[in-house]
This record gives sequence, C-alpha cells and structure tokens, in this order.
Amino acid sequence: MLGNLKGLLVTLSTFFRHPVTYQYPDEHKPIEDRYMGFPVLMWDAKVEEPYCTGCMVCVRYCPTQCMTAVMKDNPLHADGKSTRRKIVDSFEINLGRCILCGICVDVCNFDAIEMSHEHELSKYARNGNRTNLPKLLEMGKAYQQESGWRPEKEIKAEAEAKPVDEAAETKEETVEAES
Amino acid sequence: MSALETLLLVSVILGVLTGLSVVVLSLTWLERKFLGRMQMRMGPTRSGPYGLLQPVADAIKLMAKEDLLSSWVDRVVYWVAPLAVFIPTFMIWVTIPIAKDLVIQNMEMGLFYIIAFSVLSIVGLVTAGWASSNKYAVIGGFRAAAQLISYEIPLILAVLGVVMLAQSMNLQKVVDQQDTVVYALIQPLGLVIFFIAGLAELGRTPFDIHPAESEVVGGPFVEYSGAHWSVFFLAEYINTFAIASLTVLLFLGGWLFPGVSDDVSALGVLVFLVKTYMVILVIFWVRGTYPRLRIDQLMSLGWKVLVPLAFVNVIITAVYKFYEWPAWSLTIMSVAILVAVVWELSRRMRTAPTPEYTVKLYVPVSEVSNAG
Repeated sequence: MLGNLKGLLVTLSTFFRHPVTYQYPDEHKPIEDRYMGFPVLMWDAKVEEPYCTGCMVCVRYCPTQCMTAVMKDNPLHADGKSTRRKIVDSFEINLGRCILCGICVDVCNFDAIEMSHEHELSKYARNGNRTNLPKLLEMGKAYQQESGWRPEKEIKAEAEAKPVDEAAETKEETVEAES
Repeated sequence: MSALETLLLVSVILGVLTGLSVVVLSLTWLERKFLGRMQMRMGPTRSGPYGLLQPVADAIKLMAKEDLLSSWVDRVVYWVAPLAVFIPTFMIWVTIPIAKDLVIQNMEMGLFYIIAFSVLSIVGLVTAGWASSNKYAVIGGFRAAAQLISYEIPLILAVLGVVMLAQSMNLQKVVDQQDTVVYALIQPLGLVIFFIAGLAELGRTPFDIHPAESEVVGGPFVEYSGAHWSVFFLAEYINTFAIASLTVLLFLGGWLFPGVSDDVSALGVLVFLVKTYMVILVIFWVRGTYPRLRIDQLMSLGWKVLVPLAFVNVIITAVYKFYEWPAWSLTIMSVAILVAVVWELSRRMRTAPTPEYTVKLYVPVSEVSNAG
C-alpha cells in the first residue's frame, strides 16, 4: 500500500526531470574520433594524387563485393613527380551494399582507404549510393581535414626513428651528469 | 415544438458535441505529453509547436483510414454498437453543469439520471464484442460487463454518501452546499472510493482489463478500425472527462473557489475546467505509474474492499446526519476508517505467505511411471 504511494512519487519526480531525448535530425551529437563510417579514399596532398594504386586487394577481400577498381600507368611517375608507377583510374563503392566491416582498410598496403565519419547517406533510389572516384576522394579530403589523418607508414617510420634519438639524448645527459 | 426551439436544440447539441470534441483533442495531447514526460520522453513534438497539432493529425488520419469489415460480423449490431457506447456518454452531459446555472437542463434527479445513463454504455461494449465474432472481442466484452457492473455499486454508494450530505440529487444544489467546506474534506473516504471506482468504470489503467492489449488485444474494439473505432475512442475520453468533472462537482466544490465570485459564469467555467484538468492529470499520473491488475485481483478489490467500504461510508454519513454532529466528526470517522483499511491491507500484503513451488530438476527413471 505504501509502495503504491512511493510509485506515484517516483513517476512524479521523473516528470520534473528533463527528457534525455536528442531531436536527431535537428540536433546532432558530435561524432567520436574513432567512429567508423563508410570507407573513403585518401588524397596525397604532397604529390596531388590519390594514395590508391588500383591494386584491387580491397576489391578481392570485400565480403559484399561492393567495390570495383581499375588501374592505369601513372602519368606523374613518367614526369618524375611521383614514386607510384601505377595509379587508380576509376574506383566505385556501392555504399548501399557496404557493411562497414573495415576489411578493405585492414588489407590496404598503401593506406589509401580509410573508414571515414560519413554516415548520413540516405537516398530514395536503391542504387543512389553508388559512389565514384571523385566523390570518394572529396569525402576523403573532408575526413582528412576533419581528423588530421596521416598515413600509417609515416607514423610508423617516425615511431621507429624516435626511440633511437631519445636513447641517444638520455645517454648524453647521463654522461654530462657524471662529469 | 416550434421551429425556433428546434433550431435552438440542434445548435445546443452541435455546440456540446464540438466542445466535447475539443476537450477530447486536448486530452489526447495532454495524455501523450504528460505520460511522455513521466517516462523521460518528450511526447509529440513534430506537428505544430509542442506537438499541439498532433491530435488534429490523428483525427484526420482516423477519418481517412479504410473502414475494414470482416465478412462474418453481424452487420447491424456491429454498426450500432459504437453509437450505443457514444450516445449515453454524450447524454449525461445534458445535466452536468460547468458553472452556476450554465447547464442544458438542470434536473432535480440529475445524479440519478447520470448514473442511469452511464451504465448503458456497457451494452454497447458487450454488443460490440459479440457482433465482431472474434474470441478476443467476446472475452473483452464480457470482461467489460463484469468489471463495469461490479464497480457501478461502489460508485453509486459513494455518490449516495454525497447525496445524503447535500440532501439533494441536483448537481447545482450539491455544489452550492459546498460553499463553506468542500465534501472532499468532510468525506475523504467517499472521494477515494469514487475515484477508484470511477477509474474502473472508465476502464483506464490500472483497470484497463477489457481493452487489455497484451491479453485480449484491444477487447471489444479488435475488429473496429477508422471512424468507427474513433467513436469508441471519443466515448472513452468523454467518459474520462465526465468522471473527472463529477469528481470536481461532488467532492471538490465545482466552480466554487475562495475569493472568486460565482456570479460570473466565465470565471466559474475557468475554475471548473482548471479543477477538472487537475483531476484528469491525476488519472494520467495513475496510468503512468501502475501496471494492470489481473481480473481476479480487480474483482476481489471491488467486492471485498470497495463495496463494504462504500456501505460503511453510507452508514457513517447516516449516523452523522441523524445525530447532527459537527462536520469534523465525519471527517475524523472517514479518515480513521481509510487509514485502518490501508493499514490492514498493507499488513496482509506483507504477511501473505509466499507460495511454495518445488521444481524437480532430475527425476530418476525408476520414479517415472508408465502405468497411466
């Protein structure tokens, strides 16, 4: 009996609390850094070309077979501006079929494809999310700017270089302290 | 009847119908918003500011919906049933005053008339269930009959207590009698009985046993859709409003409020509406808090607790009237009985033996009998 009154008090106190609802389409929560959205292609700003060489590793590993890639000889390599002999000619991801598994990112040897923050891609047509190379690169550039992305290889190279320097520095310091 | 009188009658009927429809629209919005906030949701927000146009959108949707009819329904009864529910709920508004002298037809036997008509809607529910030729609908209809008839008794007896206090069945006079002290203070026991029995009459949570979605998937209304279903819906909310306004008129002093003159009708209507909506909010509050009772719990609460309590209420009121004791003596008796009953019920709940179940996880083969 007293429990009944307590129950009434619980609902009353809840009534005066502010609802926790987010009005989603009007109000967006900030996306976390590690959020895994749709895969996009990265842009090498130093040589003004995509990282992707069109090697088709991602295409072969994709479980839903939603990607295609075509490779071509790199004209910039012929001019001596780029180290990539081959470059991607055309690339398409049907993002409507993508299941965001991230396997394409794991298998890529050139850090060319990344899971972006892109996630609001609703379309009215069934194939409305077939995305071509320029669009993928555009989304990739947006993601690079937003997250300050750097290629994995660069980060690794720096990490290997650093410990040596630090060790050398500490040695010098100890020597100085002893003398 | 002259042409002018006919015109007046028609316009009054249309006016009451429109007023009640507006009230129902406001109630649906209020209920969804209020329940939403109690569950830390926002309720309707998308149509209009604060979702105020949501009931209008709902109404348009219901009107535009296809009216489905299954092939084995009893057609005449099936179409008449919504009206049989709706007309009584509409008719009781003939004699419910919303301010001093602001009533269609004031009757000396007003309360008697209201109670007589409010019982009639049960016939509509039962026929709706039967005509649908659907098991759930039939069960729902019978549940409605069982529930509403058994809760009619404590309701009538609670009203009888008020009638004995006021010495009148005229709602105007009942309210006028409360100009010094409202009857909620003199007879709190009556108020509690009336409110609980009223909830059961309405079939609202925690007594929504006849339309219980999880058991009989909407009860008598299973087969109805579109406009015909909305008539039931309309009737339910008008009934809610009616019970709330009866609570206000009988126990909370109607349009009277200290410091507010009851000669101005507009002020009276305002006070009356504010009080009624407060009572309705309490009904929604109860709905947001309690789960549904089982049918046997409902019946035992009705017959073992509320009916005896209602008789006790009548008896103490009679004693108080006969010996002409001061008003506070009835208050004390009423509160004492209420506290005693609540204490006894909670004691029984605490000390009720928990049923023992023995579950055998492993039964040896030798104990398994194949003889039978």
